[in-house]
Amino acid sequence: MNLLQVRDLETHFFTADGVVRAVDGISFDLAAGETLGIVGESGCGKSVTALSILRLIAPETGRIVGGSIAFNGRELTTLSTAAMRELRGNKIAMIFQEPMTSLNPVLTIGTQIAESVVRHLGLSWPAARDRAHEMLELVRIADARRRLAEYPHQLSGGMRQRVMIAIALCCNPQVLIADEPTTALDVTIQAQILDLMLELKEKLGTAIILITHDLGVVAETCERVIVMYAGRMAEQAPVAELFARPLHPYTRGLLRALPRADDEVASAGTRPMLAEIPGIVPALTRPIAGCAFAPRCDYVVERCRATAPALLQADAAHLVACWEAQRVAETAA
Amino acid sequence: MKNGEREETRETNMTAYILRRLLATIPVMVVVTVFVFVLLRLAPGDPAAIIAGEDATAQQIAAVRGKLGLDRPILEQFAVWIAGMLQGDFGTSIFSNLPVSRLIAQRLEPTVSLTLSTLLVAVCLAVPLGVLAAWKARRLVDRLVMAFAVLGFAMPVFLFGYVLIYVFAVKLGWLPVQGYRPIHEGLWPWAESLILPSLALGITYMALIARITRASMLEVLAQDYIRTADSKGLAASRVLLLHALKNAAVPIVTVIGIGVALLISGVVITETVFNIPGLGRLTVDAVLKRDYPIVQGLIIVFAAAKVLVNLVIDISYVFLDPRIRY
Amino acid sequence: MTLSATLDDLPAAASPLARLGVAVRRNPTITFGVLLLSALVLMTIAAPLFAADPFRQAPINRLRPPSERFWFGTDQFGRDVFSRTVYGARVSLIVGFAVAALASLIGLAIGLVCGYFRRVDGIVMRAMDGIMAIPSILLAIALITLTRPGLGIVIVAILIPEVPRVVRVVRSVVLSVRAQPYVESAIAGGTRNTKLLVRHILPNTLAPLIVQATYVCASAMLIEAGLSFLGAGVPPEIPSWGNIIAQGRTFFQIAPWSILIPGAFLAATVLAVNMLGDGLRDRLDPRLARRL
Repeated sequence: MNLLQVRDLETHFFTADGVVRAVDGISFDLAAGETLGIVGESGCGKSVTALSILRLIAPETGRIVGGSIAFNGRELTTLSTAAMRELRGNKIAMIFQEPMTSLNPVLTIGTQIAESVVRHLGLSWPAARDRAHEMLELVRIADARRRLAEYPHQLSGGMRQRVMIAIALCCNPQVLIADEPTTALDVTIQAQILDLMLELKEKLGTAIILITHDLGVVAETCERVIVMYAGRMAEQAPVAELFARPLHPYTRGLLRALPRADDEVASAGTRPMLAEIPGIVPALTRPIAGCAFAPRCDYVVERCRATAPALLQADAAHLVACWEAQRVAETAA
Repeated sequence: MKNGEREETRETNMTAYILRRLLATIPVMVVVTVFVFVLLRLAPGDPAAIIAGEDATAQQIAAVRGKLGLDRPILEQFAVWIAGMLQGDFGTSIFSNLPVSRLIAQRLEPTVSLTLSTLLVAVCLAVPLGVLAAWKARRLVDRLVMAFAVLGFAMPVFLFGYVLIYVFAVKLGWLPVQGYRPIHEGLWPWAESLILPSLALGITYMALIARITRASMLEVLAQDYIRTADSKGLAASRVLLLHALKNAAVPIVTVIGIGVALLISGVVITETVFNIPGLGRLTVDAVLKRDYPIVQGLIIVFAAAKVLVNLVIDISYVFLDPRIRY
Repeated sequence: MTLSATLDDLPAAASPLARLGVAVRRNPTITFGVLLLSALVLMTIAAPLFAADPFRQAPINRLRPPSERFWFGTDQFGRDVFSRTVYGARVSLIVGFAVAALASLIGLAIGLVCGYFRRVDGIVMRAMDGIMAIPSILLAIALITLTRPGLGIVIVAILIPEVPRVVRVVRSVVLSVRAQPYVESAIAGGTRNTKLLVRHILPNTLAPLIVQATYVCASAMLIEAGLSFLGAGVPPEIPSWGNIIAQGRTFFQIAPWSILIPGAFLAATVLAVNMLGDGLRDRLDPRLARRL
C-alpha cells in the first residue's frame, strides 16, 4: 500500500473576485522512502496541494472541496482537527520557503525544536532538549549546544533552514513536504541544503515531496516528478524519463525555456534567444473547459478545447494528460 | 566568542539599557518642573489677585503673593522650590496651611487602590477579549468585541459611572452608591467599594486595550511562523498563547502604558462621581478654591507617576522581545 | 494564440448617485459618523426654532420625568432638559472643532519645523515630551485655575495638551519623507527649503493630520465636558453637557434623566467623531490602519 494516495483533489479559494480553483483534480501516489518532485510555475497549485495534504488552508480563505487524501490508508480530508494535529509534525512534516520569517522570533531555537518532541513523543523537557541538540548536530550546525539558547535573528538564512529541517525531522516523520526549500537561499547554500536533505533521507528513510519551480533542482534530487499546470497535472514520470522523453507540450516548453550553457553559438556570434512559451496562465476563477494549456499549445486540436484530456499511460510509470501525446512523441523523435 | 562571554555581554547590554532609560526620565521631569514653574508666572493677570478672589484687599493680595513666594527674585524662587521638592516639601496649601505633601499622603491610598484595581481589571478582561476576537476573526464574537471597543472608547467616564450607579446601586442595590472603604476596614468592603468605580474608570481603557490586542494579534497570526507552528501539530492554545501572544505583546504593553495617562485623567472625574476621597477629589477641591500650591504639587506627582510607568514599560520590552538589545 | 484574460469585466460608467451609493456601502463608518454629526450640527443651528428657552426657570415644573411636554424632563429648577441639552451641544461642538482646528494648525507648523530643521528638533521635542507627561485634564485645570473662566480660556486650556500629539504625527511624516532620496538630492541641488516644505512634504502630512484632528476633536469634547462637570470649565451660566450633568448630581437618584440624557448625547457625538476618524484612516492610509 502506498504511503500517500491522493485522488482527484480539488481545493478552492473563495475570494472577492470569485472562486479560485487552485487545485482542480490532481491524483498521485507516494511510496515509502521515495522522493517525488512537484514542479510548475507560480500559481499552478503546487503549494496549495501541499497545504491541502496537511489541511493547513485557512478556513476563511479556502477549502478542500473534493477528492481524497489517504495516508497509510486513513482518509485525511474527513479527519478531525485533533487527529490532524496528531499527524502534523509527527508523521507528516513540512518545511517552507522563507527561512527568514518561518521561525518564531521570540522563542529560542531549542524551544522550537523541543516542543515538537514533547508534544508528539511525550518526552520530558530536558530529554527533549537533548534530542534537539542531536537534531542540530544531525543538520550539521556547529556549536549546537550554544545555538539551542539562541534566537532566530542570530542565525543566517542557510542556518535557519537547517533548523527548519531539524524541526521537521525531529519526530522522524514518514513524509517530509518541502515547499520551495531553497528558493530564498544563495546558490551555494542551496546545494548544501539539498545535499543535507538527501543525506537525511537516506539515514531516516523519509519520503520527500519536493515542491519547486526549478527543474534543475528536480533533476538533482528527485526520483519521480509531477508537472502541474493551472491546478491540474500535466505529466508524471520518473526523472530521467521526463527529461529524455517529455510528452506534454507544456513540459517540452519548460525544458526548451531552460537556459543552457552549451547553446550553439550562431555564426554571427550571438546566442539564440531563450525560447519562451507564448501567452499567459489562464485565470483560475472560471471553470476551464477542455485542456487548460490549449490556448498556448503548438499541438492543439479541436478536441483539446472541448474536453479535458484524460490521463494516458504512455509507459510503465509515465502518465501524460494530453490528447496529442502520440503526435508529440513522434514529432520530437 | 565563548558561551560565557556572550552571556556577559547580554547582561551588560541589558543593564546599560535600563540605566539609559532611567537617566532619560530626568530631562522630562526637568521640563515638567520648569513648565509648571513658568505657568504660574506667565499666566495673564496677577495670579495672586485671582487666587485671593474678586473682592480682596491689597493687603490680602500681598499676603497671598508672599505665600506663593512671588515677591522674591525668579531664580531664587525656582531654586527654593526645587530644593524643597527634593526634600519632600511641596509647599503649603494657601487655605489650610497644611503642607501639601501631608495632604497628598493622606489621600494617596484611595487613589492608588482605585488605579491599581482598574489596571488589573482592565488588563485581565481586555487582553483575553482581544485575543478571543482575533482568534475568531470576523465571526460574531469578533464583531461584538469590536462594537464594545468602539462604544467603550466614546463613553465618557461620568456617563458610564452614573449608568452603573443607577443600575447596580440605585435600582438593584447590589453595590454601594458611592464612597470608599479603606482596606483596614476589611477586604470585602474595600473591594466592594471599588467594583463600580473601577469599571467606570476602566471602560475606555479596556476598549483601547482590547482593540490594540486584537489588531496586534491579527497581525501576528498572519505571519509565517504561526503557519510553521500549526504545521508542527502543536495544541491550538499553545500556538495562540505562546507563539502568537508573546509576539503581539510589545504593542499591547505599549498601549497599557499609554492608557495609564487615560487612567490618571479619569481618576479625577471618577472620584468626584463616586465620592472617593482621593487625590482626584483633592485636585478638584484645590481648583475650586484656587489653591494653586496643591494643584502644582499634584501635577508633579501625577507626571512623575506617568513617567515611572513609561519607564517600567520600556524596561519590560527587553524581556518580551529578544531582538531589542540596546 | 489569444490572450485568455478578457476585457469585458470593466464596469460601465455609473451615474453620480450610483457612485455615491457605492461609496456609502464601501465606507459605512464614515457615513455613519458624517450623518450623525450632521444631524447634531443641524440640531444646534436650528435650536432656537424648536427648543424652549433653556434658561427659563419654572419651579412649579421641577424634576418632572420625560413626558410629551418636556421630552427629556426637567431639572431641579424646572428648566427643560431637552432644550438645555440641545443648547449644550453648541458648546461641545464649538470647543471640539475649535480645538481640533487650532491644534492641527499649530501642531502642523511645529511639526514641520521640527521634522525639517534638526537643530530645533531636540529642544522642542523635549518640551513636547514634558507637556505630554502631564495628564491633560490636570494641565487644563491648572491653566484654568490661573485665569478668569470663559469659553476662550477653556479652548486654550484644552488646546495646549493636545498639540504635542499632533506634532508627533506630523513630525514622523516629515522625517520619513525627508529621508527619501529625492528630497536629499533636491536639497543638495539647492532647492529652497520653503518650496520643498510646501510642495513635497506638506501634502504628505495632510491625511494623517486630518485623522489625528478627528481624534483631537473627540478628546477635546470629552475633556471639556469633564472640566465643566468638575466645575472648572465653561461657566455655569452657559449650558454645556458637563455643566448640566454636574447640576444633575444632587437629584440623580430620583431624576436620573438630567445626567443620562446629556451624557448619552455626548457619547453619541464622540462616537460619531471617532467613527469618522476611523473610517477616514482606513480610507486614507491602510498602513496606519494596521496599527490600530
